[in-house]
Amino acid sequence: MWWKIVLFVVMSWVIIAAFVYPAPQQGIGEASRIFYFHVPQAWVAVLAFVVSMIASVRYLRKGDLLDDDRARVAAELGFLFCLLATVTGAFFAKVTWNSFWNWDPRETSIFVLLLIYGAYFALRSAIDGAEKRARLASVYAIFAFITMPFLVFVVPRVLPSLHPSDSVVDSSGKITMSSTTALVFFPSLAAFTILFIWVYWLGLKISVGQRRAAEEAVR
Amino acid sequence: MTSNYAVMAVTLIIWVGLFVYLLRLDRKVKRLEEKK
Repeated sequence: MWWKIVLFVVMSWVIIAAFVYPAPQQGIGEASRIFYFHVPQAWVAVLAFVVSMIASVRYLRKGDLLDDDRARVAAELGFLFCLLATVTGAFFAKVTWNSFWNWDPRETSIFVLLLIYGAYFALRSAIDGAEKRARLASVYAIFAFITMPFLVFVVPRVLPSLHPSDSVVDSSGKITMSSTTALVFFPSLAAFTILFIWVYWLGLKISVGQRRAAEEAVR
Repeated sequence: MTSNYAVMAVTLIIWVGLFVYLLRLDRKVKRLEEKK
């Protein structure tokens, strides 16, 4: 229970401080406050896709349907947080670039990533039979994951993009943010990570319960 | 700055709502597990 209290306090602190402290990037102005939410959401999406890939590999090695549940729940949360990062990014784009969407390389690559993981759910819903579905979905999830580092980290840095790229670290790996910004950003990163773990755990329990109930109904 | 406080208040309300929903869901899931 104590970690739930910690999560509540830290996230509440992040929300209050994000709007009360000076904006993290003065040049961009008030809109840069979205950085405190947008970046942790993107981080959680990446983390969720890593979990999904690991669970998929485990399923292919051991054939336990619990790993398939793990992979699906993680992919669902990854998709959700990726969507949240895209929406918050679009709001930022409206304020700074005067358009919600202009097919900037960063926007295009995140859109392609959403399509790739959207296809994962379409694939799952198209296959009958839990084991066949789990096997094919696991293979697809591994291939989907391979594209993720390119779409999230490489493409927007190789192609010219308007997206700020030195908000956390610069090209030499040095942390660029001020200590005031770090005081909000790192707790936000931690709070979003704990929130992800909690929702993932709940989603997994519900998913396993539903699968077992369906198996019992068939018997 | 006043609008910042308005956005902060709305975000806090959403967060509290989400947190309470998750707490209740957590309790329900635990109760279901205990039943088994």
